[in-house]
Amino acid sequence: MAALATAGLAAAAMSVALARASDQPAVPAALFVWIMLSYVVSGLIARRRRPDSAFGRLLVTAGFGAGLSNLAWSANPLLFTVGQACDLLVVVLFLHVFLAFPTGRLAGAARPIVAAGYAVSIGLQLTVMLLGGFGDDNLLAVVDAPAAATVVHAVELIALSGLVLAGVVVLALRRRTGGLPLRRSVRLLVDAFALGLVSLAVLLIMGLFAGPGFVVVQRLTLVVLGLAPVAFLIGLLDARLARTSIGDLVMELRAAPADLRPALARALRDPSVELVYWLPRYRSWVDHDGVPADLPEPGGPRAVTMIERDGEPVAALIHHAALTEERELLDAVAAATEMVLDNGRLRAELQASLAEVRGSRARVVEAGRRERRRLERDLHDGAQQRLIGLSMRLGVLEARLGEDPAVRQAVTEAKQEVAASLSELRDIARGLYPAVLSGHGLAVALESVAAQAAVPVRLRIRVPQRPAEAVEVAAYYVVCEALTNIGRHAHATGASVDVARTGDTVHVEITDDGVGGADTDRGTGLRGLADRVESLGGTLRVWSPAGGGTRVRAELPCG
Amino acid sequence: MRVAIAEDSVLLREGLAGLLRDAGFDVVARCGDAEALRQAVAALAPDVVIVDIRMPPTHTDEGLRAAVEIRAAHPDIGVLVLSQHIEPALAMTLFADSADGVGYLLKDRVSDVAEFVAAVRRIGAGGAAVDPIIVSALVSRRRPGDPLGGLTPRERDVLDLMATGHSNQGIADRLFITLRAVEKYVSSIFGKLGIPATGGESRRVLAVLLYLKDVNGGGSPT
Repeated sequence: MAALATAGLAAAAMSVALARASDQPAVPAALFVWIMLSYVVSGLIARRRRPDSAFGRLLVTAGFGAGLSNLAWSANPLLFTVGQACDLLVVVLFLHVFLAFPTGRLAGAARPIVAAGYAVSIGLQLTVMLLGGFGDDNLLAVVDAPAAATVVHAVELIALSGLVLAGVVVLALRRRTGGLPLRRSVRLLVDAFALGLVSLAVLLIMGLFAGPGFVVVQRLTLVVLGLAPVAFLIGLLDARLARTSIGDLVMELRAAPADLRPALARALRDPSVELVYWLPRYRSWVDHDGVPADLPEPGGPRAVTMIERDGEPVAALIHHAALTEERELLDAVAAATEMVLDNGRLRAELQASLAEVRGSRARVVEAGRRERRRLERDLHDGAQQRLIGLSMRLGVLEARLGEDPAVRQAVTEAKQEVAASLSELRDIARGLYPAVLSGHGLAVALESVAAQAAVPVRLRIRVPQRPAEAVEVAAYYVVCEALTNIGRHAHATGASVDVARTGDTVHVEITDDGVGGADTDRGTGLRGLADRVESLGGTLRVWSPAGGGTRVRAELPCG
Repeated sequence: MRVAIAEDSVLLREGLAGLLRDAGFDVVARCGDAEALRQAVAALAPDVVIVDIRMPPTHTDEGLRAAVEIRAAHPDIGVLVLSQHIEPALAMTLFADSADGVGYLLKDRVSDVAEFVAAVRRIGAGGAAVDPIIVSALVSRRRPGDPLGGLTPRERDVLDLMATGHSNQGIADRLFITLRAVEKYVSSIFGKLGIPATGGESRRVLAVLLYLKDVNGGGSPT
């Protein structure tokens, strides 16, 4: 560390000496020296305070890279050649620093952009020098082709400018898709310095034309780039201040909030933080609402901090990967959370159990639906067909009978008996499962129901897209049961049935103009309906004021 | 009269065939599913087809779909659809454009042999047969105040028989009244309901069915 600091100071002193020896304009030369110092010093502080972080090392490297390019001020051809070769490398080092903040590592699209930057800034720069660019002190010149050198240099500048702008886009996108765990003010500060990259890109293009504004933009860019590491350092070290928020966290958690997440998000300054519980009974991680959750893969953008008790995991914090640099903060938050997470864990376990019960109820109802469907098929293909065959035979027999009135009477009675059985079976089959529903949907099926209702029914069916069959069957039974009740108890003169699908919900409403006062607890029919509707995650409500008619309303989700 | 039968239950298929043969029909095809019926219709050009609404493979409505297709492709072939359940909306799809040579009956109707045979014959000759349950389902849903309420009980009887597809003579025979009396009732009914008096008997079946459907106010399948 001390060696690095000494080297930094030496490099700065050398740069100053070189600048003084040559005829460099004073202001930009001072700015170049300042940039170099700013990166090296910030990097050293970062390394000291955050030894785990790769970012400090990167800052130091960028600082020395800037120092190397200062060698181009030297009159010594060797030093000049080395400096010139590194002239644009420093641009990519800056880009690397910006894209690697705060972890010091590159991820996603940033990686190929920076790699391409290094390839361009070294490869093309050396090509320009081989072609004899940058004057007589260039020791690398092999051929003297100034025109070609100019063209390659222009390509290099344009390519670097494009890559820098691509880096800005990556930063902007990253900001949109979940930011870093920083305080708002600090994040704004860091974001503001991304403008330095934009101005760097502009500067590279202006370098092509050497226009009048070049000097102003150059100075501005150097100032901004020189201040950037200070902002980064503030962002990096801001976590130290976070320690004070542990006290607040403990106070907040003592108040036993139902949901610990908001307090954790404040303490960690990571709005995306999640707390998941380990439920040994289900051998599964679940979130606050008991919904099974997966822990993120190591090495991704999200990291996990385990909360353990007696060596067993009881919960886990899922947070931004950059927070892993702040081990002490995470450990403190995890310890504070461990003391109070039992309530949340019980709640999550309860929710998971509820979900399991709901699922098994839905399975029971679904199994019932299948069984009813099978029974209806069996009836249709079995008993009903046989009875129809029997009644047909009786019909044929009747046609061939003689005039004996007693025999005729007996056959006629038998036919009537069979007809009555068929009629009853038909009602049973319909009640078991409305076969027409699977083929033709609610509108057609309800038409028959309405036609056979005890009172005139006004039907309004607006279901442009057919929902799942279980939803259709539930809606169908709601209407059937409601119309049956109206026929039995309501003393109504008319009823209306409204079935409408809006988005992912089917609304079913049956109203009548009868006496009202329906006892919703007494009828097992309504209770069974409520079970059926609720097993699909829906709701069933009945309004039945005495003398005011009855309204049954079901809402069935079908998303 | 040449008949083709499509019914997946062997018991019923053979029973129907025997019943129709005894009544003097020529049963040219006995099919177990809708596909076999389509082939029989193409090859044998029967006068009437009798088709079960629910057949393999899906056991939902392949019989009805085959019936609608056959009617569209061969308007001269009469089509009688048999069902174990009464579905007014499905029946109305069958009668959507015309009631010429088309019928929809509950399977139970086979027990009244004479009546059933007469219906098949009527359909083969271009007439109509609508199951009485469909008519009464449509009529029973009338709303208070609609013109149906203005019909006399006798006129209601005539309307029901007319809607099921009976001719004036058939209505006269059933109600034990004269043909002239039936004609009087019919024109009175049409006057009260505001249905234009049209010529053919199957056309008036359609007119009455559509009237009853409209009275019931919407409920059209979507």
